[in-house]
Amino acid sequence: MGKKTAAKINPYFYLVPSMLIFAVFLFYPFFKTIYLSLYKTNKMGEAKLFVGLENYKALLSSPSFHNSLKVTLIFVSVVVIGSMLLGLVAAVLCNKAFPGIRFFSTAYALPMAIASSSAAMIFQIMLHPAVGIVNKLLNLDINWLNDPKTALWCVAILTAWLNSGINFLYFSAGLGNIDETIYERASVDGASGIQQFFSLTLPGLSPIMFYTLVVNIIQAFQSFGQIKILTEGGPNESTNVIVYSIYRDAFFNYRFGSAAAQSVILFLIVMVITLIMFRMEKKGVKY
Amino acid sequence: MKKKVIASMLALSMIAGTSSAVFAAENTTAEMADASDVDGTTISFWHSMGGVNGEALDTLVKQFNEENEYGITVDAQYQGEYDDSLNKLKSAQIGNMGADLVQVYEIGTRFMIDSGWIVPMQEMIDGDGYDLSQIEPNLAAYYTIDNELYSMPFNSSTPILYYNKDMFEKAGITEVPDSLEGIGEIGQQLLDNGGAGEAMSMGIYGWFFEQLISKQGLEYANNGNGRKEAATAVAFDENGAAKNILTVWKDLNDKGFAPIVGKGGDAGLADFSAGKSAITLGSTASLKQILQDVNGKFEVGTAYFPKVSSSDEGGVSIGGASLWALDNQDPKKLRATWEFIKFLISPESQAYWNAQTGYFPVTVAAQEEETFKQNVAEYPQFQTAIDQLHDSAPEYAGALLSVFPEARAIVESEIESLLNGNEDVDAAVKNMTESINGAIEEYNLVNE
Repeated sequence: MGKKTAAKINPYFYLVPSMLIFAVFLFYPFFKTIYLSLYKTNKMGEAKLFVGLENYKALLSSPSFHNSLKVTLIFVSVVVIGSMLLGLVAAVLCNKAFPGIRFFSTAYALPMAIASSSAAMIFQIMLHPAVGIVNKLLNLDINWLNDPKTALWCVAILTAWLNSGINFLYFSAGLGNIDETIYERASVDGASGIQQFFSLTLPGLSPIMFYTLVVNIIQAFQSFGQIKILTEGGPNESTNVIVYSIYRDAFFNYRFGSAAAQSVILFLIVMVITLIMFRMEKKGVKY
Repeated sequence: MKKKVIASMLALSMIAGTSSAVFAAENTTAEMADASDVDGTTISFWHSMGGVNGEALDTLVKQFNEENEYGITVDAQYQGEYDDSLNKLKSAQIGNMGADLVQVYEIGTRFMIDSGWIVPMQEMIDGDGYDLSQIEPNLAAYYTIDNELYSMPFNSSTPILYYNKDMFEKAGITEVPDSLEGIGEIGQQLLDNGGAGEAMSMGIYGWFFEQLISKQGLEYANNGNGRKEAATAVAFDENGAAKNILTVWKDLNDKGFAPIVGKGGDAGLADFSAGKSAITLGSTASLKQILQDVNGKFEVGTAYFPKVSSSDEGGVSIGGASLWALDNQDPKKLRATWEFIKFLISPESQAYWNAQTGYFPVTVAAQEEETFKQNVAEYPQFQTAIDQLHDSAPEYAGALLSVFPEARAIVESEIESLLNGNEDVDAAVKNMTESINGAIEEYNLVNE
């Protein structure tokens, strides 16, 4: 009897170390965030005045937050589609052996080794209206980062390029896993290259594709460095994604309550999207 | 409010087991040890000087550590930008393990005064019998509240107007305009005859907005610019200061003289250095960078920061940062901190600091130093900054506001909306006022 209960409890002890780490670094901050989101905080960031759902109400009725939501969705869509397409095209191109393949593979995977902040600094110079190379080459006079129409696209495309490196790596690995012989059989059957791509390559990639999609969406929601450096959320809040807005409220305006409420909303959004995707996984992904 | 702070500090420090730290917070003068007793004391100094400025500061610290006769060691730590550093200080002070001396930007002044963590500089000055008249009065004025100097000005700058002398000559303009309106009058000449791509590249920068209020001789916030008492609302809506500025700025923008070049103090500099704009506004601390970037392509002239209208009577206030002594209940450390401050503001240190960075020499006597004279001979443009500072007066020292970083950001984004044509001047002023007043109200509510 005693032995049996011991055997039952025993496994849980093995969980304690990891649960402890989770508790300190995940659960505690998580619940603290929810707690803070119900308060107004003083200049030290301490909860001072219980306001219930006031922070959430204020956010949901604030045009600035609506704008942040809209900007974030556009940003995430552009980044995810852009980075996955770039990574996929590059991976498919590099799937065949040809001279110089190493150079190209390295070049396409390179963005993952570049820190977002340093890439942002380089883009800042390249996109400068007076001295930047982009305007010089295209013979244009566009104030890329200070025009509300172009600023979001600039940061989104930069982010897409940065994220494409790791996607290239995943897709290359995914392509390597597809059995070569099915292509041989397909060409014997007379399938064209395009048919092969859509009927064999894409379905073969779907498990890794699903994984990259989930990771990319979450990563895109969390982009920060390039926005802080390139636009600081401007002009006219046209690049004020939620993460940046959280940073501003917390560390600039010292309104941790409102920042915490935004974090909770962001968490809910990402959670809902992830859940939806796992639903879709059952239909679309073939293992 | 003070009592609550003390009460919460008491609670916190009991938890931390260091209850002795609390009782001196009210009305007692901090105790300072004698200079002969501080042998072997180490103090930590948090600063926000990166790059060239950081190297210059490290040189000064090293010199002090090697040469001071009291056996003091200063441990200087770069803590990131001003915002970051202030944030770290906040978390550190909760656990009572912060620095002994910290550099805080000018818009953090009200916060530091209200924080209850500091020893006002005046106490050390009085305790040591230091002659305050050695400090530039217009610099000290910013950090002086109720006739007490709270922090020691260290790296101070003012904004000035930079212009392209070659373009002005080509356009046949002999007199540099002293106001934004005046710039509007010569804008067309600069574009047509001067060969300028844009008449003026003026970054959307809250500091410029504040300066333009000071130049009108008006107030930014109520309660005497937040100096008599903490401000409870802005004043620039009722006294018309904001409307005057935005009307002229918008007009310059509409005429194509001052296009949008971006937010921040440096946003307009690249166009100027590249020879595209004829005029830019910038900090005196940018002078060296500008001369380096222009690299002799054209002659750089400097003039006073413009007024809004030529008939305005006012002056510039300062920006930059100052040194705050933190109250760590350690007389020896306090004395060591004070000795280090005295070293930093000595004429020799300040002349070196000025030559290396372009910040003002805080000490009047630094202008007698050979290093300073050489620097001005090499960069005669710097004389403009000195004259401008001396021509200003303590009453234009500018506002103190608890929520200044946020207020500045609000001003910038409203100006941006205005110039982008999303709202008119009245709406911009109204939005600024409402947002900033709302922020002040909330701050006062939770921090009482």
